[in-house]
Amino acid sequence: MATPAVEVNSAVPGLSAERQVTWPKRQRVRLSNGLDVILVESHTIPKFHGELFLRSGNATVIERGPGLAEMTATVLRTGTSKRVSRQIEEDLRRLGADLSSYAGADTSAISFAGLSEFAEPLLGLVDELARDAAFPEAEFERERRQKLEEVKLSRTEPGFLAGERLRKVLFGAHPYGVVSPSEEQVAAYKRDDLLGVYRDFYTPENALLVLVGDFQPGAMLKSVEKVFGAWQGKKPVPSVFASPANPRSRHVYLVHQPGAVQTQILAGCHAITRRHPDWVKLGLTNSLYGGAFNSRLVMNIREDKGYTYSPRSGVNALRQHGYFSVSAAVRNDVVAASLTEIFYEMDKLRSLPVPEPELADAQNYLSGVFSMGLATQGGLLGQIAVVALNELPDDYLETYRAKVRALTPADLLETARKYLDSANMQIVVVGDRAQIESQAALFGELEVFDAQGKHLR
Amino acid sequence: MKQLQIAIESTTLANGLKVVIAPETTAPVVTIGVYYKIGFRLEPKGRSGFAHLFEHMMFQGSANAPKMQHIKLINSSGGVLNGSTHYDVTNYYEAVPSNALERVLWLEADRMRALKVDDENLRNQRDVVKEEVRVNVLNQPYGGFPWLDLPPVAFRNWANSHNFYGDFTDLDAADLSDVFTFFKTYYVPNNAVLLILGDVKPEEGFALAKKLFADIPAGPPPPFADPTEPEQNEERRGHVEEKFGTLPAIAIGYVVPKRRTADWCAMALLDQALHGGRAGKLYRELVLEKQVAVELDGGIDDIFGYNGPTQMVTRIMHKPEFTGETAMAAFDQVIREIQENGISEDELAQLKVKWQSDFVSLLENGHGGMPRYGLMHLLACFTLFDNEPQLVNSILDGFLAVKREEIQAAARKYLVKEKRAIVFRTPTASSAKEAA
Repeated sequence: MATPAVEVNSAVPGLSAERQVTWPKRQRVRLSNGLDVILVESHTIPKFHGELFLRSGNATVIERGPGLAEMTATVLRTGTSKRVSRQIEEDLRRLGADLSSYAGADTSAISFAGLSEFAEPLLGLVDELARDAAFPEAEFERERRQKLEEVKLSRTEPGFLAGERLRKVLFGAHPYGVVSPSEEQVAAYKRDDLLGVYRDFYTPENALLVLVGDFQPGAMLKSVEKVFGAWQGKKPVPSVFASPANPRSRHVYLVHQPGAVQTQILAGCHAITRRHPDWVKLGLTNSLYGGAFNSRLVMNIREDKGYTYSPRSGVNALRQHGYFSVSAAVRNDVVAASLTEIFYEMDKLRSLPVPEPELADAQNYLSGVFSMGLATQGGLLGQIAVVALNELPDDYLETYRAKVRALTPADLLETARKYLDSANMQIVVVGDRAQIESQAALFGELEVFDAQGKHLR
Repeated sequence: MKQLQIAIESTTLANGLKVVIAPETTAPVVTIGVYYKIGFRLEPKGRSGFAHLFEHMMFQGSANAPKMQHIKLINSSGGVLNGSTHYDVTNYYEAVPSNALERVLWLEADRMRALKVDDENLRNQRDVVKEEVRVNVLNQPYGGFPWLDLPPVAFRNWANSHNFYGDFTDLDAADLSDVFTFFKTYYVPNNAVLLILGDVKPEEGFALAKKLFADIPAGPPPPFADPTEPEQNEERRGHVEEKFGTLPAIAIGYVVPKRRTADWCAMALLDQALHGGRAGKLYRELVLEKQVAVELDGGIDDIFGYNGPTQMVTRIMHKPEFTGETAMAAFDQVIREIQENGISEDELAQLKVKWQSDFVSLLENGHGGMPRYGLMHLLACFTLFDNEPQLVNSILDGFLAVKREEIQAAARKYLVKEKRAIVFRTPTASSAKEAA
């Protein structure tokens, strides 16, 4: 790296003794109808946060239609057999509550937060949405039209176009290869498709309810049993998909956006899921590479060279296959220079052991930020949900920091060689072809697409 | 609802630095903020974007912590950091395991005492800021809509109407002497507040603040440009081309009454009635009922965090088959309805519960992994603008006292055409065709 190491001034105060991080007790219960429930107390504010997860998402239902889980989650909140849309929204406001419903690749969810004193009526509404949604025809038509506009609009966003192309390249025909439906696919949605997804996947045996907040767990569990106890439904038959082929050798995919005044770079390769034994090692390697402000890539292409505002790298943990990626929105005339540094930092981590002090800094960083979630109800819910949905060991939160701190330079070298697969990175650049094509072509065989996904010659 | 009573202690050091501490020990994490009372509203003429560019410079090195050290020392303590520039304040903040409290305070004191940067640092951050503007504004559909689009149409005073992110020519013109002048003028302890929230004992926090900040010399009270706007007496309209996006968009901004008045409280609940999510009158009418719009949201942004003219803004993205005038007619009908009929007692009760609930969440809310960012922000603004951090515990009362008639009266008085500005952001022929 071009930036010289700087001596730490001796006046810098050291760290005092660390206060122990204590994760709150999680009470885990399975109701007689099969619904998994996790309750956690957190008394920071007189509210509670909850999320009802269904262990099926857009990837699970892809054969019925891309994006159908998302559309089902969207229309879900627009009516039940007891309440019309307007009533639902006013009731939420009356309870001081927020609610959203959405679907990702692997899960669908109803996410909510409200005042503790109104917990039971809010849970009642969530239960009603989960098992008694009416999918009114008119609401479905309105939402479908809105989705069409949304799909069109997303094709004008550089970040979306880059992500869409990378997922296609990395996962091909696997359901993870599709991040959004096409306009034609949205136009073809039928209300019956949504009812089918709802019937098959919104069942207690397929669900997990996580509640975190200012409540007494015994009383809260009684409310949960009372409200959700009558919900019935079986676990769906799991969908099985063939593993995607792992693309070999570097390729470059240019998505042409006429008039773009900046280039969005996104490069990635196959990696691992959260359940993999190397997960923590890769997390730390990523944090050294480009996962923190103080990371090598940020110091290089932002703080030293000024190519970009927001470079970052990450490990994207989809449930069945993970991938590693690095991104930066850069000035048009430094696309080749930025890619060169992106690969330089990757190859350096693959070639030379990380110096001990730098490793210690990164270990402190990762174990420190891991505990931040403790301070807010929403943060805590997020971490607990990750453990439960990925079926990680019960002591995952308690043991994570020790695992991070046990890693050595040799571990990181091995991990970088395995997963920062620089020779096989798939590179996407979104920008104005005339300004960047020759720069991009230096890094591999090049294909050009338009924003609609059409191959250009 | 249980009244939330937040423990707050505060003091002022001899050099004028205010120190506010709010202990809460659930997690061994402490959030630290330093707020300076200077934002992009008050940056010098001919130097648009400078307050923000300067914010970047504060991460470039100080007397005892050269470039890279500041960031490295906080990350390697297990913490995260950032800064942001607002209309009237600029903040720098960190969340770290509580054993790093003294280190972070030392770093903040070092850069308050003596910024140490050079031309190379300035060139570097100017490049970074330009890429920030490109990624957020120039290369994004609806970039800068409407926060950069509305001010030049709505306001007449340069302080309120200029390009806050900065014209590139102004960014290029800024030199190192601007940096040090700005630093000496505004980054003095008597123009700042230090906040420590979370896992800290107040007496230890105050002792550390004294130890590390007390010898930083005060400066002359900074001069502030007057952001007062001349009275607006006519509707103002502007047009902006949308280069990438596919849908026509409209932003409508109404001037908000003076903060901490009864009218301001009424306006805030009126805002909630109009914009409060899917139950809000505007969303219900334009998106759900008439189905003119595809998306609609808005409100008084950062209602507690400004100290000069501001607006309540509605953002509409509407279907291309409707004209902007049709969308405006639907919008105006909602406004007329609330002016003529006000809201029901039941609706007011709902609004108040939701307002209270949102306020509590605002205080707890993190921001980029930073717990209690919201509480920090409110404490800082109430200290710098009102010299009264305890307002966090009483500010709700004014909103909960608002009566139905006051909401209707606010709608009649403030939601008038002569007090509003409208920007139409319309896709250019080529972006519309692209989508067809």
